[in-house]
Amino acid sequence: MNAVAMTGPVVRLEKVTKIFDGSGPPMTAVRNVSLEARRGEMVLLLGPSGSGKTTLLTIIAGLAKPTSGSVSLFGKSVAEYSAAELQSLRAEKVGFIFQTFLLIDSLTAGENIEIVLRFCRKRRPERARKTRALLGELGIEHLAGRFPRVMSQGEKQRVAIARAIANDAQLLIADEPTGSLETRQAVGIIGLLHAQAKTRGTTVIVASHDLRLKEYADRTLHLQDGEIG
Amino acid sequence: MYAVRTLRSQPLRLILTIGGIALCIVLMFFLLAVYRGVADGSVEYIRQNRADLWVIQDNATNILRGSSLLSMDQIGAIARTPGVRTAAPVLFLLSTIRNGDRLGTVFLTGFEPEMGLGGPPLLAWGRRPRADDEIVLDRSFALKFGFEAGEEVDLQGNRLKIVGISRGTNAFVIQYAFVTLRFARKLIGVPGLATCVLVNAEPGAEIGPIREEICDVLAGLKAYDHETFLANNVREMRSGFLPLLYTVAVIGAVVLTAILSLLLSVNILERRKDFAILKTLGSPMPFLWGMVVKQALLIASVSCAVALILFFPLVRIVERISPEVTTKSTVGQIGGVVAAVLLMSLASSFVAIRRLRRIYFLEAFS
Repeated sequence: MNAVAMTGPVVRLEKVTKIFDGSGPPMTAVRNVSLEARRGEMVLLLGPSGSGKTTLLTIIAGLAKPTSGSVSLFGKSVAEYSAAELQSLRAEKVGFIFQTFLLIDSLTAGENIEIVLRFCRKRRPERARKTRALLGELGIEHLAGRFPRVMSQGEKQRVAIARAIANDAQLLIADEPTGSLETRQAVGIIGLLHAQAKTRGTTVIVASHDLRLKEYADRTLHLQDGEIG
Repeated sequence: MYAVRTLRSQPLRLILTIGGIALCIVLMFFLLAVYRGVADGSVEYIRQNRADLWVIQDNATNILRGSSLLSMDQIGAIARTPGVRTAAPVLFLLSTIRNGDRLGTVFLTGFEPEMGLGGPPLLAWGRRPRADDEIVLDRSFALKFGFEAGEEVDLQGNRLKIVGISRGTNAFVIQYAFVTLRFARKLIGVPGLATCVLVNAEPGAEIGPIREEICDVLAGLKAYDHETFLANNVREMRSGFLPLLYTVAVIGAVVLTAILSLLLSVNILERRKDFAILKTLGSPMPFLWGMVVKQALLIASVSCAVALILFFPLVRIVERISPEVTTKSTVGQIGGVVAAVLLMSLASSFVAIRRLRRIYFLEAFS
């Protein structure tokens, strides 16, 4: 059973549709999706490439506006947040793990983590202390001064996770976090995300096509052509 | 850290940018230094010849670009004006000096050595001319045409010995040379003429009534006090030189701003994924703007330092190649250019910052 009691939904989507209306014919990326994710819950959005997973993640994070439907984050409609409030929300309450890690190449592992702490207005000594603690927690203290170009895929992914949880995120959004990892590394990473949910009460939403993740998720939602099946 | 690391990641581009901007700054330093040198060289003669009044034909307000001829009678009348202690006539004319196959045109100044006014303002070597077969040449002119102190030169068929080399007499397009008034009058063939008269009043006499007397009694003449006459000449010099200076300085500033804007914009475009990630991770926009501004200020500061290192040796080389180019640099001038460059770098960063708005969160997920 979960170590953290689940309360009201951290994320709530109601009948969300997203249509991209560019120069070509309109394309529906997400169709009529409703979902909820509570504190300490790990939700897996499972679907093949092009099924709308990433678009859904960006809508959940308040980075993209739905064409129709409503999105609530931390009990408040995203539409009611100002741009500055959404920026603060991302800096202080949301963590992101991107496909292919997306560490900043010109910063060391330590600096990649530390820069996020700046966004949530932590002072320099606290940033340094927290960065050291995170590197230690993930067993990558030795990477502190290394640049991403000399790290292995697994090391990069651990740094990416450290960066995502540096702000003590209440909502962790991961886009294909195991996509480029071999099984042993993938299991290790998903274990870390699962631990975040269960020990810290973080809401974790993972978009993936990796079936290995299914056994760790509290709920799995299958996406196909933008719809939850 | 990110701002600096990003710049350092493309060292060749950074060096070329700094080099380009530094050359623009050197150009600005140089133009200001030339301007200051010309400004001083053009009017130092007037500044150093401190007369209470400068009397000139009233169609002319200055000696740099104006025609004035005073007759022997007028000069005599000025000297007889109550309150006038000395009235020193000076005659200016353009003339060509030659020595073998070397020849150059000078702003020949004939003055009366015994009056103590109207002669070379500063001497780098030698003494003022005392006899009609003596001449003082400007230092830049002598260097440019290879005239050496002590040798003889030919001036319209007359042999003159160089007895002095003057400073503060280089007006860039032309340089002063000094001879006796008698010799200058002999050259034009009309006795008793002068371009202007430098008047000194009796001790304790008021200048205002003397000026009024001269202007009232002698029709067609105008008397200026020293400061007004100096200002007239400075204004004349500026009107001829400043438009060119401003044009080149503006071109330099535009090139500098364009180079810097281009570098900053290219940096942003090349790193747009990084910026998209930072935005997604919750970076406040002022943090991103700050990085661009920091890059701009950093490049501008390093470029200023490089320009300062290059400037003084370059000036020496230019002055050696073209002695008529006289420069003068002050801390104020250099400080002004550095401040202007820093302001331009801020303008460049504002141009580049606009690109940040067009970087979208979704680019981090693509």
